[in-house]
Parts: sequence; C-alpha cells; structure tokens
Amino acid sequence: MNTLQLAWMLTRAGGGQRRVRALTLGAYAVVSALVLIVVAGALSFTRLPEETAAFYLPLAGIAVVLLIVPLVLVGASAARLSARSQDRTLSTLRLLGATGGQVRAISVLQSVGTAALGALGGVLLYLACAPLVALVNFQGAPIGAGIFAPLPVLLAVLAAVLLLAAGSSLAGLRKLVISPLAVRQRVNVPRPSWVRAVLGVAGIALVYGLFSSLGAVAQSIAMMVAMLMMGLGTGLLVLNLIGPWMISVIGRRKLATAQSPEQLLASRMILESPKAIWRQVAPLAMAAFVAVVGGSGAALMNQGAPEPTGGWEDYISGDMLTGVLLTLAIIFLCVAASTAITQAAGTLDAAELYQGLGKMGLTSKTMNRARVQAVMIPALGAALIFAVGSGVLLLPLVGIAMIMAPLSLAMVVLTCVAGLVLVRLAVQLAAPSRMLTR
Amino acid sequence: MNFAHHALPNVLEAQQLRRSFGTTIALDAVDLSVAPGEALAIMGPSGSGKSTLLHALAGIETPDAGSVMLQLPGRTPVDITTLSDTARSALRRESFGFVFQDGLLIPELTAQENVAMALMINGVPRAAALPRAVQALGQLGLGGMEERRIGQLSGGQAQRVAIARAQIGSAAVIFADEPTGALDSVTGSEVLDALLGSTIRQGKSLVMVTHDESVAARCDRIVRLRDGRIVADERSNQGERA
Repeated sequence: MNTLQLAWMLTRAGGGQRRVRALTLGAYAVVSALVLIVVAGALSFTRLPEETAAFYLPLAGIAVVLLIVPLVLVGASAARLSARSQDRTLSTLRLLGATGGQVRAISVLQSVGTAALGALGGVLLYLACAPLVALVNFQGAPIGAGIFAPLPVLLAVLAAVLLLAAGSSLAGLRKLVISPLAVRQRVNVPRPSWVRAVLGVAGIALVYGLFSSLGAVAQSIAMMVAMLMMGLGTGLLVLNLIGPWMISVIGRRKLATAQSPEQLLASRMILESPKAIWRQVAPLAMAAFVAVVGGSGAALMNQGAPEPTGGWEDYISGDMLTGVLLTLAIIFLCVAASTAITQAAGTLDAAELYQGLGKMGLTSKTMNRARVQAVMIPALGAALIFAVGSGVLLLPLVGIAMIMAPLSLAMVVLTCVAGLVLVRLAVQLAAPSRMLTR
Repeated sequence: MNFAHHALPNVLEAQQLRRSFGTTIALDAVDLSVAPGEALAIMGPSGSGKSTLLHALAGIETPDAGSVMLQLPGRTPVDITTLSDTARSALRRESFGFVFQDGLLIPELTAQENVAMALMINGVPRAAALPRAVQALGQLGLGGMEERRIGQLSGGQAQRVAIARAQIGSAAVIFADEPTGALDSVTGSEVLDALLGSTIRQGKSLVMVTHDESVAARCDRIVRLRDGRIVADERSNQGERA
C-alpha cells in the first residue's frame, strides 16, 4: 500500500474525528472567505481616481497588515487541530515501522486535503457573502462588483491557505517523527520573564517617539505611511513581548485569590501556557488598539470636517469609521473562530479526563465554567489593558473625541462589546457537554 | 476474620440488577451487598459485566431494573437507581470516592490541588482544603511532593494522589476500577498497600474491579462474574484482615 492510499484510508473518520474534521473544514472556510473579502475590498480602492486611491490604499494596507495576524491565527489553529487529531493514528503507524518521511507525507496530505476542501467551501462562502459586502459604502457609493477578487488573487489566497496547512502540519509533526511515542506529558510550566515587560516598555517608548515625530519628520505621504507601518510593526512586536508576561501576571493574581474549584482550575489553565493563551487573545489587544486610535481619529475627523466641498475629501471621516468598524468586526470574527477551534481541540484532548471526572460527580458545568473563565479573563484583560493603555498614550486625542463625538466612539465601544460576546459564544460551542457524548 | 463493622447494616445492597446493551446482557439479576469497612474484589473475564456492576453500584449508570440501596449511618436509606442525574452526581461527590486505572488527575493542577479539589467541590474553602490535602498526601508517602504537577510524578505516585483524592472527603465507599492495571508489579503492590491500608484504616468500604488474582486475594471478599451473573462469592483467606 503506498503513502497516498494509506492517507486516503486514514481519511475515513469515526464519530469524534468527524466533529474535528467539520470544525477544521469550517475554520478553513471562514478564514479563506475572510481573506478574500479583505483582499478584494482593499483592491477595490484601486478603482478609485488616482488622488483618492493614493489616500485610501495606504489605509487599506494598514488594515490588511492588522488583519494578517488574526487571519493567520485562525488558519494556524485549524491546521494544529487537524494535525493533532491525527497524532494517535500517526504515532501508531510510526510504532508499526512507518518511516518519518511516510508519516510526514501522510500528515501533510491529509492536512492539505482538508484545507483544500475548506478553502473551496470558503470560496463559496465568499461568493455568498459578496452581495452583502458589496453594499458597504466607500466614497458615497457601494463597493459593488469591486468585491469580486480577480482569479489570480483567488488562486493566490487558496495557495496561501494550503501552504499554511502544510507548514503547520509539518511543524506539529516534528516531535512525533523524532519520538514514535509522541509523549505529550506536560511537565514544566513556562513562566514568561519580566525582561519581556522591560523590553516591551522600551518598545512602547519607541512607538510613542515615532508617532509623536510623525508630523515633523515625514516629508511625504510615502514616508508617513512607511513610518506608520514601522510603528505598527514595532507595536505588534511589543504586544507579543508584553502579552505572555501580562497573561502570566493575570494568571498568578487569579491563582492567589482563587476560592472556588472553577477559579482554581481557570487560573491553572491560564498559567499552563501563557504564550498559547496570548496567541488566542492577542488580536483582541490589537482590536482594542484599533478601536481607540482608529475610533478616536475617525470620530474627530468627522467632527472637525470642514463644510462639504463636493470633493472626495467629504467622505474621508465616514469611510474611516466604516473601515475601523469593518476591521474590528473581522478581527472579532477571527478570534471567535480560533477560540472555538482551540477550545474544541482542548475539550477533545481531555475527553477521557472530563468523562472520568463526570463519573466522580464533578459536573461538566464546573469544568465548563473553568474553561470559560480561562478564556474570558485573559480576553477581557487584554482588551481592557490595551484599550486603557492606548487611551493613556493618546490621551489628548481620545479625550477630545469623547467630548466632541461621543456617538461615533460609542459605536466603536459597542462593536467591541459585541465582539467579546461573540468570543464568549465561541467558547460555549466547545462545551464538554456539547462536544462529548458518553 | 474479625469484621467489627459487620453488625451495622450493609452500606450498599443491590438487588436483581439487570442491564443490557442492545442484545448483550451485561448484568443478569445480580444481588450483591457491601458491608461497612469491607474490601470487595469483583473479578471476571472481559465483558463479564464487572465495570457495569461497579458503575451501577456507584450510580454512574442506571440499571434497566433492580435497586441499589445506600445505607449510611444517621442517614435515611436511599435507592440510588431512583435518583435524578444531578442527585446521583451529588451523591458520588459526597459519599463515594473513585480511583481509575489512569488516575484521571487534572494535569494543570499540582498534587495537593488535585486532592483539595475533592473537598472544594463539596464547599470546603480552599484555605482549609489545602492543608488537609497535604496531610492526606503525607499519609500516603507523598510528603514533599505537594507542589509537583502530575506530569512530574511517576505512575505509582500519581495513582497515590488519586487514592488521596478518593479518600479525603467523607466518602463511605471507594470504588476502584483496575487501580493497578497500568503499573508494574512492584509499583502496583505499593499502590495496593496504600489503597487497602488507608481505606481500611479509615473504616471505608472498598469495591475494586480487577483482573489480577493476587490483587483480589488481598481483599476480604471476592465476587466472580461470568456473562453478567455472579458465579462465586467467596471470602478471601489472604485478605488484609484475615
């Protein structure tokens, strides 16, 4: 039997595996559809007159950069879940004498196959959503046919999704190929160092300096965009430096004050892997940053706009608010999707434990409450800390926006609240009582 | 044999238990009683109904027919089979302790937190539960390992943590399903010492499913099942108190 036949044979999944595959397919579909919408939306600005496009394209570029992280997060979560669901089978194959190369090939073939199916579903989802997204207004007119991505773009997105699936599958397999037993015993709890916080503060100072000197240093729009991109890049790096350390601090504080079984469990779940938790909630911190900076900026522009001139500038403030709200909505959708997948994978991994604890009389409600807290405490923490942090850094801008344009700001806040509710619902999707049947 | 507690009513009294899965009969008119402080081994070939019997006695599964009376001192006797799922869960938390083959400990928690969790679930504050957990671990020879996570313990040590968790509360009966099944013979024997010794010392009853004759022989009584029926119910000569 050759590798291809073996991979095909192993594709026939049983009950639990079917749920994993459905989730993985759904995640790939969502991520492919969102990438297509984002890319096509950004490209639609190329149809604008040159002067207008020169203003809108860099902003769309910034939005795309901001959306790359959460989109990759969903794709990577789906790939990890897909690879993890094969662990046991591949481990057995390895013990039966399959070579590392064969195991690698089977895993990649299966992951890429699932990703391909999901991505095709994503194209259909994208085509189904396109008429709705086409109604979004920019420059006083709906995007219209501009939302349909050209064929090369469509193919490029599909290829990127497949590459991501193959890469994640290979990365997840490294341990398995080295050790056939693929022991996943968690022994040591990683504790992010405070050095991260120090480096993070230095990074914040750099971003602050960069943004404050923007007006004075930037001689052209191109230079301003380059500086903005550099600032955003550094900002993202800072987020990733501070994030795990911040999550670990939140976890330790929670552990110190935990009284109920679910609080104790939740805090230990957070401390189990602050980096993994951070990966999950990082886009929320980014969303908070976008909400504060973009929301305040758009609100102020709306307020301070001069009398309408009949030109393209009349639409800038409204379009910026639309852009901010769209970016936020997509970030939240991504976080919700990746949360649902990660949590589902965790629940399936711990299925035996959950069922055993159920036998002992520990209801799934307790375990579920712990899971919810383990996700929502860091999620709310990240969103609030970074919203307040961004607000403090940009105090004058936010302060004026709060006074001058409370309605626009309220819209941004409401979007964030709706997003967090979406994340909470995503956690519920993976509840042990829903995922596991005795 | 000296069974001081046997003047008391049986802690568990099962009558005419029947359970089938499709066309397979797992339990066929099983009558069984468990005395206070008694260590009972349930033996039989695979598929004989051992685990189903343990699950029925512990209220994990409801039989198709029959009753399981739980009679605890100072409490009104209750037929477990008539209770709701929620009430049976509460009963398992409060009155029973469990030790499974793979321990089923929560990997994120430390040894003492795993043990304390059994108390906290029943409303004991964390500050009171943790010292009691440390004490229970100490009694099972795990002093100094309280802060270790489950992945940092050997199989035998982890199983002793599971025993401490099962025994720490007010459980009257400890149910053990192949508690030494995943361990080598030396470690298995040590774990069995811990399980039998501490259970009997505390006056609790033990109901243990096992494949291993030498393990069963150390209990007070051995019940043998075949095709869902009890084919032998004998006192053990080597039982801990023989």
